[in-house]
Amino acid sequence: MGEKKIHEDQKYIDGLLKNNSFIIQAIYDNFVPKVVNYIKQNSGDADKAQDVVQDTLITIYNQASQKKLKLTCPFDAYFFLLCKRKWLNELKKSSNKEVTINEEVLSKDDDAQELAFETSVFGEKQALFAEMFAQLGDACKDLLKATFKIKSMEEVAKSLGVTYAYARKKKSLCIGKLTELVQGSPKFNQLKN
Amino acid sequence: MEDQNYILFEAYLANELPKEEVAEFENRLKTDAEFSQAFNTYKELSAFLQHEFENEETSAAFKTNLKKISSEHFSKNTVAEEMVKPKARKLNFYKYAIAACVVLLFGIFMFNQFSTPTYSDYNDYGAISLSVRGENDALLKKAETAFNNKNFAEAEAGFAKLLNSDSNNTELKLYRAISNIELNHFETADGLLEEIRSGNSAYKNKATWYLALSKLKQKETEACLEILQTLPEDADDFNRAQKLMDKLD
Repeated sequence: MGEKKIHEDQKYIDGLLKNNSFIIQAIYDNFVPKVVNYIKQNSGDADKAQDVVQDTLITIYNQASQKKLKLTCPFDAYFFLLCKRKWLNELKKSSNKEVTINEEVLSKDDDAQELAFETSVFGEKQALFAEMFAQLGDACKDLLKATFKIKSMEEVAKSLGVTYAYARKKKSLCIGKLTELVQGSPKFNQLKN
Repeated sequence: MEDQNYILFEAYLANELPKEEVAEFENRLKTDAEFSQAFNTYKELSAFLQHEFENEETSAAFKTNLKKISSEHFSKNTVAEEMVKPKARKLNFYKYAIAACVVLLFGIFMFNQFSTPTYSDYNDYGAISLSVRGENDALLKKAETAFNNKNFAEAEAGFAKLLNSDSNNTELKLYRAISNIELNHFETADGLLEEIRSGNSAYKNKATWYLALSKLKQKETEACLEILQTLPEDADDFNRAQKLMDKLD
């Protein structure tokens, strides 16, 4: 991806990342009506559309902030594809079918398709990770929260009243436990690409 | 996977493995598929957790703001839609008449709401393109981009810095003033605009117009009207100013 040219619409991504209200407003004014129409025409309503749009923007935000998302295609196409994908998945979920990811034929040379695919896999992984994290025991949850918030393991150990070595070992084992939960979930195997 | 492996993953990611062990570790990643898959998931989870907890507050702020804009956007559109297609079925004439009155009253009410002019009706300045004047190119470009992206805090910082070395640049002063209106720093904005107005530059009338808009944003209607009246007929914004005055009266 490195050599591809960044599209000028990167400004929308940067604007989201900076929580710039003008840019967010512009996204709603310029790109959201098309999504709302699509969802309404495909057995949805305005409320559903509102949720899909919001979730999609949060996913883009997360990918931008965690993975330095670089837009190589127009925002319009990318955003629409993402919302569409999300909506189709919602429909499938509500009709109790398995959600399969790879059923659409992707033309790999299409930047928008490819990027939207990447982002939606990213988003589903995030959701899966969050779901599995919630299943961890409280001791692990607290330790991991403290570890990533405080950063210095010495301080973490101190705040939890344990030794540095123990806190360190616990951290590895808690993430290890999480790794096992994630790898054991059926969703994970569908997401692996 | 054995516990020992997770301890190894953590040490590797923290760059705390001794050199010999690093080579051994990396070799194992290449040859042991299960080990390598577990490591990749472990690494992804670490990145996920790090992001999740380190940026908890910024993410929460983003979500709150997003929800606000989203619900404003959607409530606006639902109202518009319901007004277009009122759900009336088996209504008799009187009911129609009553409904019509209500719609009419509501319409008048909405019309009055929307016809009160606000600053945001007028802050539609297009993208700016600043003339290049030499050594401060990069900073200038940065301020210009920030302004065009409506990132006014950054634009303000940029313009302020540029004005330090080019204190007589009226164009920069004007854009700095607009940035400050956007940021609600009215004292700075008004000061700058007064300064441009009292001078004799090409931006004199623009400054008057924006000073009026600044007063409008501060809800000082009287002051706004007074300033608008001083705008000469040959000013770019003369017509808009006249219309604004009509609405404010």
